[in-house]
This record gives sequence, C-alpha cells and structure tokens, in this order.
Amino acid sequence: MRTLEVLLVISILIGALTVVSYFAVLPSPRQVAPLNLRRLALTTLQTLDSSHDLSKASFDVGNDTTWNRLQVALSAALPADIIYNLTIFEVNSDASGAELYTSVKSVSNAENLGIASDASQYFVASSNVTFSVTPEKIGESGTGGTLYILNCSDANSWWTVGYTAQSLAQDFSNLLSPYFTKTVMVQSTAELGQILDNNPLEGEVVQNAVLINTFGESMPIPSSYYDGDARRYTYTLGQRVLEYNWTWVSIVGYPIYYVTNTNLFPNDQNGYGIYGMKNVGPAGLNAFFQGLDNQTYSANSTWITGSLAGVKYLTSKSLEDSNYYGIYPSPYQTFTRALPNYITSMYNLNVTTQIFNPDGNYNPGSVYRHRVSQGGTSNFQGGFLALGVTRTPDIRLTALGLLSEYKPRIYRSEYTVYGTSRLAVLQLGLAGGT
Amino acid sequence: MLFIGLFNQTIQVGVTYQFHRAVASKGSDLLDNMLLSPGIPPNWGQTSDTPEGFGLQAVEFTQYKLSPFSLMRLRSSTGNPVYYSMTGQTYSNVTMGFGQSLLVPYNEALDYSTASRLLGVNGSYGFSLTLTPIVNVTIIQIQANPLSVSISASGPGFPLANAEVDYSLIKVAEGGGYPKYEINYGSALTDTAGSTSLSFPGFDASSTSYALIASAHVSGLVGIGYHENALYKENYVIPFISSTANKTAILAHSWDVVNGSDSDAAIHYNATFVALTDDFRLREMPFTNETGSTVGVLNSGRDPEHAYDTLTMGTNNPGILIVTYRKSAQKTGIVVMPWGLSSLAFPITFGGDPKNASWVATDIRQVMVNGIAYQAKLAVWSLSGYQVNG
Repeated sequence: MRTLEVLLVISILIGALTVVSYFAVLPSPRQVAPLNLRRLALTTLQTLDSSHDLSKASFDVGNDTTWNRLQVALSAALPADIIYNLTIFEVNSDASGAELYTSVKSVSNAENLGIASDASQYFVASSNVTFSVTPEKIGESGTGGTLYILNCSDANSWWTVGYTAQSLAQDFSNLLSPYFTKTVMVQSTAELGQILDNNPLEGEVVQNAVLINTFGESMPIPSSYYDGDARRYTYTLGQRVLEYNWTWVSIVGYPIYYVTNTNLFPNDQNGYGIYGMKNVGPAGLNAFFQGLDNQTYSANSTWITGSLAGVKYLTSKSLEDSNYYGIYPSPYQTFTRALPNYITSMYNLNVTTQIFNPDGNYNPGSVYRHRVSQGGTSNFQGGFLALGVTRTPDIRLTALGLLSEYKPRIYRSEYTVYGTSRLAVLQLGLAGGT
Repeated sequence: MLFIGLFNQTIQVGVTYQFHRAVASKGSDLLDNMLLSPGIPPNWGQTSDTPEGFGLQAVEFTQYKLSPFSLMRLRSSTGNPVYYSMTGQTYSNVTMGFGQSLLVPYNEALDYSTASRLLGVNGSYGFSLTLTPIVNVTIIQIQANPLSVSISASGPGFPLANAEVDYSLIKVAEGGGYPKYEINYGSALTDTAGSTSLSFPGFDASSTSYALIASAHVSGLVGIGYHENALYKENYVIPFISSTANKTAILAHSWDVVNGSDSDAAIHYNATFVALTDDFRLREMPFTNETGSTVGVLNSGRDPEHAYDTLTMGTNNPGILIVTYRKSAQKTGIVVMPWGLSSLAFPITFGGDPKNASWVATDIRQVMVNGIAYQAKLAVWSLSGYQVNG
C-alpha cells in the first residue's frame, strides 16, 4: 500500500514538473525585451511632422503624390523588420459633444502586424489654424508694469538717422506693449514734466516704470525743469530714476548728449543744424549718474564712452532670448559709445544684463541696476539700459535687452478646435513569426 | 529538497525571465531619461563644465529634439583618440574619413563613467548609446573631367525615392597665395531607387580640389552627405575643437598629428564658418572679430610660431568650419569640421562595451538633432554578475 502511495506521489511530482516545464519556457528575446514600439511610433510621427509634412498630408488625403512621399519617408525611417499601419482620423463631435473618430486615410506595408504591435497617436493641426501666444505682463504680479515711450511733439531727435522719434515710438509700442501692463505715449515735454512730478497721465503706476527715450542722443526737457543749466536737469532726471525706481533707456549713441525742447530753445541748435536742441556734452550723462547715485552735483565734462574696434556679438543668452521672443536683430553691431566698466564702482551699479559680449573694460549694450543699502540689506533701485551702438538705431536690440532683463514668459495657445485637428495613429509591429 | 531540486529549472526560468524584463524596462526608461531631459545645467553642451545632471535634449525644444552641442561633448567610444603634441592634449575622435573629423579635447568631452554616475546606474547597469543618422546620403565621384557624381539616399528600411536633394559644390580656386574658393548651389530629385546623378560641365576635378555637401529630404526626413576630393593630402589642416565655452577651434598642421610621407611644409589656409539655412544653403557667418573668412599660414611644430591658429566661431548656432589649404599652386585640398554634431550628420557611439555582458537589451527612438533625423539606440546590460544558467 505504501509502495503504491510512493509511486502515486512520484507520478504526481513528475507530472507536475512536466506540465510546469512545458509552460514555463523562457520566451524569445523579442518577447522578453521587446522594442518599445509605442515610443518608436510616437517619435516616428514627430519626425515626419518636424517640417509639418504629416500635418499637410493629413488634410490632403486625396493627394497621391503627397502620400507617396510620406510613405517613402515612413518606410525609410523605420528599421526593415518593422511593419506599420498609419491611419488618419477625422475628429468630429456629436450633439452631446462627445468626440467621434472617422478614418479618412490609411496606409500600411503589410497585411497584418505580426506577433506583437503597439500604437501611438498624434494630433496634427490644419494649416488654417491660427496659433496665438499670450505674453506674461511685466508688473502683473507686482507693482509697476508701465512702459513710457517718449513721443514728444515739441522735441527733435539726433543720431536716429533715417527715423523720426515718433516713428520709433510707434514701433516700440507695437513691439513691447504686449509685455507691459500699461503702455503710455508721452506726447509732449509738458507730459514728461508731469510724470517727473509723479503725476500719472492715464491712471498708470508711475513707480517702477520703464522709460524709453526715442530721441537718440537728445533727451526731451520740460520747460519747468530748465533753470538755465541743462546739466541740472539731467541730474534731476537721475534722481527721479532713483526715486521712482525707473529703468531709463537710451537706444543709440552717447546718452543725454543734448537736451531738446523746440519751444524752449527755438534759436539753439546742436552744431549740425538741428534747432530746438542744446548741447550739454558728456556732462549730461555724468550729472545723470550723480543724480542716480544720490551724489552731490558737480559739473563734470569728462568723456567716458569708448569706441570699440570691429563688431561685437550678441551674448549666448541674448541669442537664446532672441529665439524665445522671436526678435531677430543682426547678431553683431558696431559700438562707438560703449560705457566703461568703472562706472559700476563709481556710481554703485551692477550690470544685470549683457546684451552684447563685453570688450575689455567696456560693456557694449548692457542694463545697469543701481545698488542701494536699506536696513543692512542691499537692493536695486533705479537703473538704465544703454546700447552705445553707432547710428542707426535698431529698436529690436533695445526690445531684446529689456525682455532679457525682465524675462516675461510666453504662454502658447493649445489647438483643440473641432475640424482643425486630425488624429494620426501609427501602429507598429514586428515582422516574422514567433 | 527533492521538490526544490525538481523545480529548480522551472524557478530559474522564471527568475531569468523577470531579470531580463527588468533590464529591458531599465533600458527603455534610461533612454527616455537621456533624450527627454536637457541635463543640469540645461545648456551644459555649450559650456566647458562637467554637468551635474545628464541629458541630451535641446533646451529650447520639447520632446525628442536633441542638442547638437551636448552630443558633440560626448566622448566617442569607437574612434581612436588623437594626441596633439602642440597642445599636449588628447582628443575624442569622430571621423568620417579624410578631411571630415570632429576632435574634442578629453577635458571637455564627457566620459562614460561620469555619465553613468549622473544617471544613477554606476555599478549596476552598463550602457552604450549610439546616434546614427536615419538617412544615409552617399556621394561617389563617377568621373573627374568633367565632374560627374552619383548621390544616393536611403534609410534603414527603404531608399529615399523622389527625395529632393540640395547640394553645395565648394571649389578651391587655382593660383597662389591664400586659397580662395567659390560655392555653387543646385538641386535634384532622386529616382525610385533613391539615386541621382549630377554633372558639372567644364569642371575638371582632376586638377581642382572640391567638396560636395548634399542634403536629401522628404516629408521631414532630412539627411546630409559629404564628399571631398583633395588633390594633396600629405600636408594639410586638421581642425580641433579648442573650447566649447569660448566657441573656439584651432587649426593644426597635420605633420604634428599624423606625420606624412612627404616632408613637412608650410601650408596656406583660408577658413570660413557657414551655417546650413532652412533652404539648405550655406550662409557664411563671420568669425568673432573678423568680417568674413580668415586666412593664415601653418607649419609643423618645428616652427612653433605657426604651429596652429585659433579661430573663434563665437556662436551657438550649429555650422560647418570649411578650411581650404594650399601647399603650392596645384597642391590643394579642403577639410571640414562640424560645429555641433549634426551639421554634417556625424554619428556617435558613447558608453561602454557590452561584449562581456551575459544579456543585452536594446531600444530605439527616432530623434531630431537641429533638423537632421537620427535614430537613437541604447544597449543596456546588468553589471550585477548574474548567471543565466546555474
């Protein structure tokens, strides 16, 4: 009896072993470690659509030439042992809003998809779709956000060869107003005097604003700010930039080399026949710096800018920002009015954005911020952007510098409108049997 | 014990299966980690620093679009390293034949062990990453006078039929002094076999050095091919990457690198940096502090003053450094170096050697590198010493 039991146990064990061994066989390598066909399908679809060819073909399903080219690319892109089926679906919606998919085109290189397959889907958009971007507004999450653009009708510009200040102002507005909470055109020197007195023109926030001087080397001066010595005005301007935490912008040449007001200086000209303008020379900028640093005013006519040899190139950061914001000025420029490095120590300044690569002791095209110490902590208050390029002004450089400094983000729109999207499904399989 | 002994084989099959699945899953994840992250810092490929996180994605793009500069900074595991005595440095070598090489100094090229450590697989998994252009564009000279060439384009699975081919023929001008050159552009269409022939009446390639850069493209699939015909190859120019951060390259005399059968001699060169535009033409980009091309004289290290020259590309845009050289009126040639791996569709293999691994899992993705279609293949194996058969 016991012998019978032992034999029975042995036969059960052998039977179990046989059955388990039959089923527990190591699968073939392609089953154990299969290609990630889903990822391969997705990346193939992305490659085909890298020049929007897949999108075009998806909305042109009757064009045999286009589809022949697409199928050639698809066949060439995939390894020889991969078989595929590419199907394009129309995306509809029923009365309840539920999505319905209707196949409109399908291509394949095999009758079936082999032993294993996987698929990825990819939405393509019609070329009729208009994409939009929404920029983040400077100042929307804090204070400030006002962009002042000088457009004074009673002032003349210098070194803006080929442009008027008014045409530059309009271009600045078109280019930069989407990035600011409020854009205000300062239409006269009197209005400039108003904001210098901390009186808003259109209910905007005066503090923390950006003020672009479109008049080149000349700076509009309100009559109320002229006491017979124009250098005093530029000193006060520096003080206001500090007081209101403004960013003052010079777009070309030597900053504040002249002051301009056609009513105030009807008989004065800049030495080159442009009336309504008074020459203050290098003393204007030096006085501005003294005011910005809250130093005691002292007349100083020292020429401080440098004329740099050759051309200077945009920094790699500026090139990245150029791509990000879609602003493409020439990557190299000539600088004959670049500011020197030593002003940073002389007037407590930090270079916070370098638009162009520095050259020795000079910073062509840079944004400077003024350091102040309050309660033992150091902050920035007031600043300016000085390009120092040789005429003619390219406002894209200024715009690029400001955007690099403030870094507003770009929010790109999604495309989910019915009838403008189609669904491309690429199913991949491995050729051969088990 | 009897039971365990009987089922030992079965248990081992199950364990092996799970083990292999784990390696395969790790490989797929690892590949996505590499391709879908730009690394830390994101622009490490454009610096000379060692990254703190490994990733190859181009910082300004999403999905599987890779940075040609991060790829350029990988130390090739297949090319023989090159030692240049004048700088005392060893260079990672990606070469596609005479006159087309990418040599990156070892101190700038990211090595395998660092990448393994940054990926968190050091000591647990080995890997080998290969990036190969999907479209292979082959250019063969059929006849020298007048010049006739055949261009064929194909992918791994199919020839590129009816593909548009845009080409740039760079001819080295005859005469003395610094070697001038001219560029002619043209386009053609491949036939159903993915081939096309080009003829250049009046151009005698037996007496003129030239280079032909061709791009084939169809439905987003873009590939680049290069062919050069240098009449003189005994003394020539070898470009090296000098600093990716400073965007500089040096031009060295070949005698100090590979010697030659001819005696060493001074050569005049003319270097130009060009970018490939969206319409597949070459757009000249001036070197920093230069207005166009730059010229000079090179000699071997016995004349240290002229041993090598430094050029500053000064740009983060990928491009091609083209250098024409001349020893005498008839002894001319041309060499190129990509600035960014994809400019001439160079492949690269980075990582360890899987030949002693017991089992290797692979996975692939299609990626774009500055508009050029590549296939990224990752081979992964375990380093834990597991035995498949006990």
